[in-house]
Amino acid sequence: MDEYPAGSLDHSVPFLLTLGTSGDPTYQSGLSAVLKEQAILIRSELPPLDSDQAHALLRYIQNRDASNLPCNGRDAPKKHRFHVKTAERVGGRFRANVYLVQDRDLMFMCIPSQYSYRLAARASQMDLVPSVLLCFYTLTSDPTLATLNDNKIKTDVNNIRALLSQSGYKTRLAVVLLSDKTSASGDHVQDRLESLRRGCGIDAKSLFLVPPGDSKEELERMAENMLTTLYTASLDYYRDLGRHSRKKRGRGVAPQPTVPPTSGTSQTLSLAGWNVRYDFKSAVFAEYRQEMDVALRSYEQAYENLLSSELMEVIPSWSPRWNEARFLADVLAVRCLRCLLWNGQHSAAARRWQSHRERIADFLDRRGRGTGNYGWEAWESRWALLMANLMEKASIPELAPVTHKLYLQPEKNVMGERLQPWEFLHHTGYWYRLSAKHMQARRDFAHAIPEDDRRSPSMSPASFVAKSAFAYDTYMCPDPFEEYPLHRGGFDHGRFVVERLMKARSEFLKREQVRLAAEVSLECARELGLAEEWSGIVKLLRPLWKDLPFRTVEPEYVLMAGSRLRCVDFVAAFQKRPNWEYDITKALDQIDTESKPIVSLADGQVLPFIWTSFLFREEEGKAGQNVRSQLTIKSNAHQGSTPVSLTSLYLNFSGSLDRVVIEHDDAVAVQEKRGNTSISSVPLTRDDAEAEVTDLGATNKSVILQGAADLTLAPGQTLVFNLEIPLREPGETEAQSLVVNLDTEEFDLHHELKFHQTPKTNFWYLSGSATKRIARPNPLAIKVQPRPPKLEIKCPVWKDQYYTDEAIVLEFELTNGEDIEALAKLDATLFGENPPAFTVDIAGHESQTSSSSRSEESKLIGAPLGTIESSKTSSVQLRLPPVDRSSQYDLTLKVTYFLPTNPGTPITQTTTFQLNIVNPFEANYDLLPRVHPDPWPSLFDADGVRSAAPDDDVPLAFKGLSQSWCLLTRYASFASEPLRVVDIDVVLSSLPSVRCHAIKHNNLPSSGEGRLVAPKTIEEAAFALKAQKASLDERGPSPLDVSLVIKWSRPEVSDQINSTTLPVPRFNLFGTEPRVLATVSHMFTPHPLVVLTVYIENASNHLLTFGLTMEPSDEFAFSGPKQTSLSLLPVQRRGVEYRLVPFDDLGEVGRWVGVGLVVRDKYYQKVLRVVPGGEGVRGTKEGGVEVWIPGRGGGGGGGWEGGVRGLKRVMV
Amino acid sequence: MSTTLPSIACLGVIGRNNNPLHISIFNSYDPSTNSFRPVRTPLQFSLLLSSTLDIFELRSRAHAAQGTGLTGDFGLLHAVDEKLAAYGFETNTGVKFVVVVDMRGRRASTAAAGVGEDGKKSSAVGTTGVGLREGEMRVVFKAMQAAYIRLMQNPFYDPDEHSPLTGPGKKITSRRFGEEMRKIGEGWVPGVTSL
Repeated sequence: MDEYPAGSLDHSVPFLLTLGTSGDPTYQSGLSAVLKEQAILIRSELPPLDSDQAHALLRYIQNRDASNLPCNGRDAPKKHRFHVKTAERVGGRFRANVYLVQDRDLMFMCIPSQYSYRLAARASQMDLVPSVLLCFYTLTSDPTLATLNDNKIKTDVNNIRALLSQSGYKTRLAVVLLSDKTSASGDHVQDRLESLRRGCGIDAKSLFLVPPGDSKEELERMAENMLTTLYTASLDYYRDLGRHSRKKRGRGVAPQPTVPPTSGTSQTLSLAGWNVRYDFKSAVFAEYRQEMDVALRSYEQAYENLLSSELMEVIPSWSPRWNEARFLADVLAVRCLRCLLWNGQHSAAARRWQSHRERIADFLDRRGRGTGNYGWEAWESRWALLMANLMEKASIPELAPVTHKLYLQPEKNVMGERLQPWEFLHHTGYWYRLSAKHMQARRDFAHAIPEDDRRSPSMSPASFVAKSAFAYDTYMCPDPFEEYPLHRGGFDHGRFVVERLMKARSEFLKREQVRLAAEVSLECARELGLAEEWSGIVKLLRPLWKDLPFRTVEPEYVLMAGSRLRCVDFVAAFQKRPNWEYDITKALDQIDTESKPIVSLADGQVLPFIWTSFLFREEEGKAGQNVRSQLTIKSNAHQGSTPVSLTSLYLNFSGSLDRVVIEHDDAVAVQEKRGNTSISSVPLTRDDAEAEVTDLGATNKSVILQGAADLTLAPGQTLVFNLEIPLREPGETEAQSLVVNLDTEEFDLHHELKFHQTPKTNFWYLSGSATKRIARPNPLAIKVQPRPPKLEIKCPVWKDQYYTDEAIVLEFELTNGEDIEALAKLDATLFGENPPAFTVDIAGHESQTSSSSRSEESKLIGAPLGTIESSKTSSVQLRLPPVDRSSQYDLTLKVTYFLPTNPGTPITQTTTFQLNIVNPFEANYDLLPRVHPDPWPSLFDADGVRSAAPDDDVPLAFKGLSQSWCLLTRYASFASEPLRVVDIDVVLSSLPSVRCHAIKHNNLPSSGEGRLVAPKTIEEAAFALKAQKASLDERGPSPLDVSLVIKWSRPEVSDQINSTTLPVPRFNLFGTEPRVLATVSHMFTPHPLVVLTVYIENASNHLLTFGLTMEPSDEFAFSGPKQTSLSLLPVQRRGVEYRLVPFDDLGEVGRWVGVGLVVRDKYYQKVLRVVPGGEGVRGTKEGGVEVWIPGRGGGGGGGWEGGVRGLKRVMV
Repeated sequence: MSTTLPSIACLGVIGRNNNPLHISIFNSYDPSTNSFRPVRTPLQFSLLLSSTLDIFELRSRAHAAQGTGLTGDFGLLHAVDEKLAAYGFETNTGVKFVVVVDMRGRRASTAAAGVGEDGKKSSAVGTTGVGLREGEMRVVFKAMQAAYIRLMQNPFYDPDEHSPLTGPGKKITSRRFGEEMRKIGEGWVPGVTSL
């Protein structure tokens, strides 16, 4: 588009000019001096606004500039489209200068005038005339200056208005007032605005007030509204202009010329010419209003008229106006295309593009200089490029690269018609390519220009000049002596071709048209080849050469590329050159190199002169064994080339095989040679420098097998090497590539050749003449079977369960089942949740402790086991510290060992053990209240109650209340085997203000040997607790934390005593609530007699009265108060005694008898629960109390047991 | 101007592994010299066929995603310029037929019969010649497929030899197949219903 004068093809966007603040970039009117003279200078006399707010507002408006937005109608909901420019600022008082072009006729000249180019150019140079002039002013809030400033604004605006009207343009004037800092009262401001509006003579819609200190969002909203309002005004402006030109066209007469037609070449314009002009004008104005349908109609009308028999048909082809008319036709067509693209009529646009081309071609064929010349091709190239540019500007989303669409389906209205395939609008890549093609055609035509015409006119005879003056179509392209001059470079076609092809290529690549892109690359490379830009070609074609998957299928393309590229005929010359010394070592003879070049060639980059293959003799092998294999290299160099002495060969394998290096050594004799084939066995030795056998920790990957052979290769010769490669690790291994190294004095060449699997290569050389076919699907690969490890890991004493709080010692035995001694090391991993660090003890070595790299893994790597003799056993002890939670771990032992016969091959034996660590015991607990035998202290005994001052050194004397409890624990062993319980104890911890101690009662033998506890049986242990508060004043509840400690050992290891601690839920002792405890004692006077004592404790500060009622019973007689009332002082305990005599004979065993004893708080009328306070009493579910009446058998043993069980039932 | 009609410029059969199986090139009318000759060189046609493979791949991917394209007719693949356009068809076994149409390959007088039945000719022809309807190429593909099937029925023709998994395969050498292609390419004019 650049070839057309600036602006002639631009999209028309309403022009908004701001005045009064400075911003970047400022508007350069860019007028020529002539126009500047005729222009009117608009200036404002007031100082420019420099506040931040004004800048922010201006910046926002500038950012909304729409001149670079995509030209399509999809953003139609956009409220405004403005092309925003800011008036330039000139120093001094004048804050802005705007030039308005005064000469209106300059604007729309038509064909006959000398300004025809400008007609089109000016269409967009409507840019010179803003539709809206937006002036910025400050609204002063200072009341003393307000009137003065307002008047200044009025004067300024009126001046500008006067200047505008003088120019003859109806540019809309709008004013923005920015209030300065303080905000004046509303009414006052309204009045001032009204007065300003009237004084300036502008309507309310064109006056905007920006209140001070608004937030950014508020300002943007305000600016947005302002632009929307202004946009309506600007549309009005263009609508008026459009109406004006339509009115003129409607008159149907050519207006009188304003200038007499006598001056220069200027001619009067015919009516048809005027009509074209009017149509064009109204179309441009419609485009400004974005009424694209209207614009399209007017453009088409102008186009048809222009190409009609009245205008273009009558212009002779030698006239300068011929080209002007073509130019105008182009501009009209471009604008039509843009309108079509705007409306989304893509097929119509493609058709329009084609029809313009056809019409112009037809026109040129009939009346011009035809289409068989470089001028036409230049235009065709430009015309295709224009379409690509227009499409880019319209940014059609349906053709975006992500859609992967190459062309658009036609619009609905033309869907069923017979369409040209080209009318499906293809993406820009195709258009760029088309443009490049025509550019190439143009060059072909240009190169066909006869020499006479290529001579500069100053050097040619006048007759020639006259003859060739009209023979060439030079529309928008240089004359023949410029296009392709005789003695110097002319128009650089190649550059443009490459530029367009590269654009096309990138478009194709974006849409994954790799093959087409490759084709374009080739074209491009050919073009670069003409320009001799070799490096560019290599850059362009290298990826094709290397990567394209279809290269193997379509080799002729690449061959073509290769033959085009003289720069890469490195080794693979296609034809033998006579009298040429074929010696690769002299490849760089005529080339000066700064340093010794190192050439690395990957497989497939060039055609190699060495052909290579590799075979394994066997399909399978075992680790530790050697496998026979054969490497063959053959020279395909020209007969007569100098033999090449390769420096070395590197044979690389995938998998675990070592790299094999064969060095050149002349001294090594070839073992068998027959014809062109020589066979030699290459003994391989391990490179000691890099393979430290004793260093077991190092990875052995870097081991290299080395051999030496004569690597001199004459043309056509085949070298066969028999190799015995030791196999090391199990797995699949494949020979991958051979690197051929050739180090000469001038350069180092490393060429990698990949092995390819073809039937031709499966031949094993038995001798120089005899071969044997290896019938295996893939002789490049070998399967290495693992060498079975014969070293055993055993744990003779492995238990299903290990227990928490137990130090665990695991003994392992490693038995070497190999025939010879083994050098071994051990890796141990404990895997699980928070595994403990463990220690490994190996006889004769220091013990090592594991480290944990991750939270779920504890690891010990590479503990040396030393040498284990054949069929000997080495023992390893693994110690784990006591674990406090039950958990599961996986213990993996991995022994890696080496046999001295094959030190490079590690052998691995792995065994996994599952380690279960469980809790050996579980227990539950009951805390039963008991009556403390000591009397309660009395409040009235001051000495006995008051404790010593706490700051004394003497230990705290405990003088508070005492309580007695019984902690009953039942524990069971959850182990899988009987465990010996040695001791059971409790650990008490309470507040410092409470002292507490426990006396244990258990059934363990006192000797300390403990007792075997069978699994899953419940054992009991009771503890008598005594607690006392420090002070009588403090009687509130206090917590008691107890933990049960069970000391136990495994029966077989009696000396190792483990202690398991079980936490007991927290208990609460004491409390101020009154409590009733019942105890019994049995007497056997001739009759069994039960003495029931009821203790009522009042630990509160109140005097409490309780009523006691004892119901008579059928089962026993009793003595004691049947009904009584008992008053308790604060901190007092009182007891009431009943004697019960059972009526019946109670049999041998005794039984439980209910007692109807009710204790009631008299004040609250609340029944207190009677709590059993000792043996022989139990509570019932209903809240009553039962006492044990012993049988005749005497004793309370059974009763005691039964009482305990009864209690349990109640508590559950 | 409108004295030209579309003609077939090239027929291509491409194997399953994108290997060229057969290429027939036909003469087109050249108005500048008023003679008949191929519009492009064989290499250019070969490149043109190769470039359509991109589109086959693109479309197959789109078809697989949308579950469409069961007929195998790919319609217009692309137009390389205002003259040449490529149409494609893929069989169930992955063999691709490509028809390159020269939109101005024939003088109208030589093939007037083909267009005469088209009533709407004048509106569609415009200034640039006769266009093509959607699916107008189907008849060509049908004929090509029929010819290809006849070729497959030949017991001496081994399809695996022609599209091996690695490396370039053989090309179709059957003279009868070539003859049939020639017949199709020369016989087709827009609007023809059977070949």
